[in-house]
Amino acid sequence: MSGGAPPVIRVDGVSRWFGSVVAVSDVTFDVVPGITGLLGPNGAGKTTLLRMMTGLAAASSGTVTVMGQPVRDNPPLYGRFGVMSEHETVYGFMTGREFVRMMGRLRRVAALEDAVTRAIDLVDLAEAQHRPMDTYSRGMRQRMRLAATLVHDPEILILDEPLNGADPRQRVHFKHLLQRLAAEGRTIVLSSHILEEVEEVADTVLLIVNGKLAASGGFRAIRAALNQRPYHVRVLCDDPRALAAAAVRLPSVDAVHLDPDGAVIVLSRNVLDVQVELPRLAQAGSIRLRRVEPLDDSLESVFGYLVER
Amino acid sequence: MGSVYRLTLRQLTGRWRLLIMTALAAMPVIIAVLMLRSAEAASVEDFELVVLSGMLAGSIAPLVVLAIAAAAFANELEDRTLANLTLAPIRRWQIVVPKLLATITVAGPFIAASAFLTAHFAFLGDTTATIAITLSAIVGVALYASAFVWLGLVAPYAVGFGLLYIVLWEGFFSGFVEGVRMLSIRHYAIALMHGLDARRFAEHEHLSLGVTAVVVALVFAGFLLLSVRRLRRMDVP
Repeated sequence: MSGGAPPVIRVDGVSRWFGSVVAVSDVTFDVVPGITGLLGPNGAGKTTLLRMMTGLAAASSGTVTVMGQPVRDNPPLYGRFGVMSEHETVYGFMTGREFVRMMGRLRRVAALEDAVTRAIDLVDLAEAQHRPMDTYSRGMRQRMRLAATLVHDPEILILDEPLNGADPRQRVHFKHLLQRLAAEGRTIVLSSHILEEVEEVADTVLLIVNGKLAASGGFRAIRAALNQRPYHVRVLCDDPRALAAAAVRLPSVDAVHLDPDGAVIVLSRNVLDVQVELPRLAQAGSIRLRRVEPLDDSLESVFGYLVER
Repeated sequence: MGSVYRLTLRQLTGRWRLLIMTALAAMPVIIAVLMLRSAEAASVEDFELVVLSGMLAGSIAPLVVLAIAAAAFANELEDRTLANLTLAPIRRWQIVVPKLLATITVAGPFIAASAFLTAHFAFLGDTTATIAITLSAIVGVALYASAFVWLGLVAPYAVGFGLLYIVLWEGFFSGFVEGVRMLSIRHYAIALMHGLDARRFAEHEHLSLGVTAVVVALVFAGFLLLSVRRLRRMDVP
């Protein structure tokens, strides 16, 4: 996954267990500049993994290094991080600006007031910055926490479920912001259990299932790697019964059934072969194909398959 | 360190907490005034045993400090905001020390004022005795704060464990078990008071002023180091 560039974050054989419960099991991957999505269902071990990547938690075995240095108990390194945890608790007695200012001061930001203003502007919360944070909506708290994460202009951003509570407009804003930050050369790790969030912005995806790295790479690379996975292809044509009868004889087809709406649903573990063979069958049987579409090309379906496997 | 100190001060100065501390700190003063008005004046030994050692050093001071110190870290652990501090590029002692100082800043004035007024009324304005009692109380606050800040980091129910410690160790066992007395913050404070005003209270039977000063420094530094070590090694939620 490093693609030749030296990894910014290296997770090497990392496991973490709590008593007899294994939260993360022998996970290895590298993170390079750009946006990496850490994806998995709730309880998959994403947060534990992120906490080990930021040094907040120790690994039971294995190592995590950031820029070649061990991350655990390494405060000088933390100045290069911006971490937004999944927990939404804030210091309610502080105004948003006070909070961002405190976080900047702790990170020894030069020209602090300018940096605070810039960070708050980035999340579009200037009008609410002087209000106590216990008056904020959930989405506003998340945005102000993001401002505090960005105030020291970190090289590495680790964001755990950052869009909790965000409305659609804020999601679009956040997506553009992340893409801009990544384009400036930052390394961003974005955790989410909402597939669209990751699919829309991440260059690379790490799929965590039951504490294990189920797959990694680009979204389509993950798909290609899952060669055991059955694919559903929906075919619309002018003679579905004839096409179904012909398709079921193909070696690359596992099953065929007809939908009540007249579509042929083909189940295959070799979709590339199906893509070649279906038009040939249609041509041989003088069947006119109107539409051929994969039913489960979304990250959701890949994710569901991995979880159920 | 200033940011962590100011943050902790704001966290620890809730209205209810301050009201409870005020009520607790007023109790020894009220007892001293009542004893002063009573027809049968208590002896110095009785006053020391009941009010200074039993109430102020053994109950009020640790309770007030526990209410503040346990919250210094426990609240952040509970709210899961501690990561805001531990993910800053600052050493762990730069988090522990300001939190400990903030604890002493909040609890210290209550106990110091309580000790000062109690001594002032009980000993009719005797400056030496008043200074000895007030300084001993402040040292007691610092020691309890150091111990309870550490407790707030290691124990999920720090207040419960702290109460057990106050009642069983400081209140019960240290009252009659010689060995425990040598490991009791209450007795360090009382020994310091004896050393600072040997004229009124006489030399402490076990600890001289010099030994007390060394023990006090060691206990304070020991718990401080334990807190720093704990913060370095713990998983921060």
